[in-house]
Amino acid sequence: MVENAKRSRGLVIAGAIGAVLAVIGIVFWMMQLSGGMVQTGMRNLDSWGLYITMFMFFVGLSAGGLIISSIPNAFGMEGFGGISKVAIWTSICCTVAAIGFVVVDLGQPVRLWELFAYSNLGSPLMWDIIVLAVYLILSIVYLVFYMRYEQGKTSHAAIRVISVIALVCAVLVHSVTAWIFGLQQGHEFWYTALLGPWFVSSALVCGTALVMALCIGLRAAGYLALDQAYIVKMAKMLAAFIAVDLYFFGCDLLTSAFPGGSGAEVVDMLVSGPLAPFFWFEVIGCVIALVVCVVPALRRNGLLVGASVLAILGILCKRVQLLVGGFQIPNIPFANVEGPYAITFGGNGVDAAYGQLVYAPAPIEWVVTLGVLGLAVALLCFGLAYLNLKPASSAQA
Amino acid sequence: MTHYGMAIDLKRCVACHGCTLACKSANNLPDGVRYNNVLTDGGQYMDTARGTYPNDLYRKYYPVSCQHCENPACVKVCPVGATYKDPETGVVRQDSDKCIGCRMCISACPYTGVRSFNWEEPKYSLDFPVGDYDAPQHVKHTVEKCRFCYQRLAKGQTPACMEVCGAMARHWGDLDDPDSEISQLIATREWEQLLPEMGTKPSVYYLI
Ligand code: SF4
Ligand code: SF4
Repeated sequence: MVENAKRSRGLVIAGAIGAVLAVIGIVFWMMQLSGGMVQTGMRNLDSWGLYITMFMFFVGLSAGGLIISSIPNAFGMEGFGGISKVAIWTSICCTVAAIGFVVVDLGQPVRLWELFAYSNLGSPLMWDIIVLAVYLILSIVYLVFYMRYEQGKTSHAAIRVISVIALVCAVLVHSVTAWIFGLQQGHEFWYTALLGPWFVSSALVCGTALVMALCIGLRAAGYLALDQAYIVKMAKMLAAFIAVDLYFFGCDLLTSAFPGGSGAEVVDMLVSGPLAPFFWFEVIGCVIALVVCVVPALRRNGLLVGASVLAILGILCKRVQLLVGGFQIPNIPFANVEGPYAITFGGNGVDAAYGQLVYAPAPIEWVVTLGVLGLAVALLCFGLAYLNLKPASSAQA
Repeated sequence: MTHYGMAIDLKRCVACHGCTLACKSANNLPDGVRYNNVLTDGGQYMDTARGTYPNDLYRKYYPVSCQHCENPACVKVCPVGATYKDPETGVVRQDSDKCIGCRMCISACPYTGVRSFNWEEPKYSLDFPVGDYDAPQHVKHTVEKCRFCYQRLAKGQTPACMEVCGAMARHWGDLDDPDSEISQLIATREWEQLLPEMGTKPSVYYLI
């Protein structure tokens, strides 16, 4: 019991640190709103930045938890040793962070209500807002039902139905987020039918990696007991997802490069251009993670956590490539009168502005981002400390 | 139905940037905001040439603002309908009181740089408003772009850039009326459009 108290004290302290960061983030967000978004690194020709990158990334992270916990329930398979509740909670926290990132990116957040008053149902952004809201509510309902189920208050059939709905919704959330980018014919790099499935596969990679790392960590800290077999099962799943994700990447690169037209420019930008560090980190990191997950001798806890971190960072690098890459190749690359709002690194001619990364975040964006991350950490830790998220009995699905 | 369009004669344009300035003053645009840009299809900087002397050196300019697409990518993606197509005139309009500043339209528009965001509280070099008394409002953290001077059209006038073009490179009119000057020009002159492969069906033609 004493040990238990100490453990949750650790969680509460971590949560409190997160909350402090969140407050600092809010202060800086207010500064961004009052002083103007000119303080960020974003400009007209690279009009989205770190916030939307993180939005994509967190939507992806949130999937894994929900999918890991709902697949076994939905298909009546053997689960992952009672980690369902932790997994669902993780995805709720990630969804909140994702929504937070969209909100801090908006120029006029006080006009948010218009989304409901004047909704243009043809806009992919509108679809995403609807699906995200449904997804968040559904995850919470799922968690509540799961807790009631463990107390014997709900039938297994009910859990199964909710799991299936949650699963469909999780896949939808990723596809729709992909369509925000993938339906824009103006950006060569984004405009591909593969983007939807590819977002789902990347989401599975980083989501599974997050849950696996979290489980190993929580087990080491004594928060929950989990048989190594479940971890191995997760590692194998992670390996499969990474393989699919890399396969999609390969397909996309080949389709872009083969005709040799403007698609080849995209491939150059990734492989040897300004985005190369992010590209190679992703590819090499994911391959290493894959190897660790498939070679039995390497499936040691430390290495598995390392593999998870590599996979998560790899997917983050991919989000950076996607976002910045979309703005890195202008459709009309003609020289213009420049001005303070044109492009992040202007003033030295067209090739100079586009020869480097077109965008880099400004300090205020880092702080606000840290704030949103803090919010997610606070939610996660307080939830783990105060909600009854531990496995009910030793090996229940 | 009216479908306003513009034809710009690239053989006549001398890149004086008069249209850009006429637009800035008629619409009372804040510092750093331009709806119209005269782009140099040449070297690295404005007014630099492409090619090598004496072989194939040339200078070419494209005055570019919103193309008032018949199939506008920006209108489709705006979640609140703050950018919308006027059914009477085909003009793609912008509602600064509605825009939530998500910048979805900026990334959806294939024409690099025609949309601009007010990244801070609009600043003006003069301390009194200029241009049309009913020029559009400029609101911090919202997106703006050329509206074909909608306030002027409503009064039966033509866009400000038309009025000032000293080289008389700009032509304006109803594309739906086969007898209009612009329809005649498009029927008789050779022309090109920007990024036709995007499927946006721009209403701006470049006579070449
Ligand atoms: S040029 Fe761009 S902003 Fe103008 S109507 Fe077409 S898509 Fe919209
Ligand atoms: S920035 Fe404004 S005009 Fe553009 S899509 Fe968003 S709400 Fe619509």
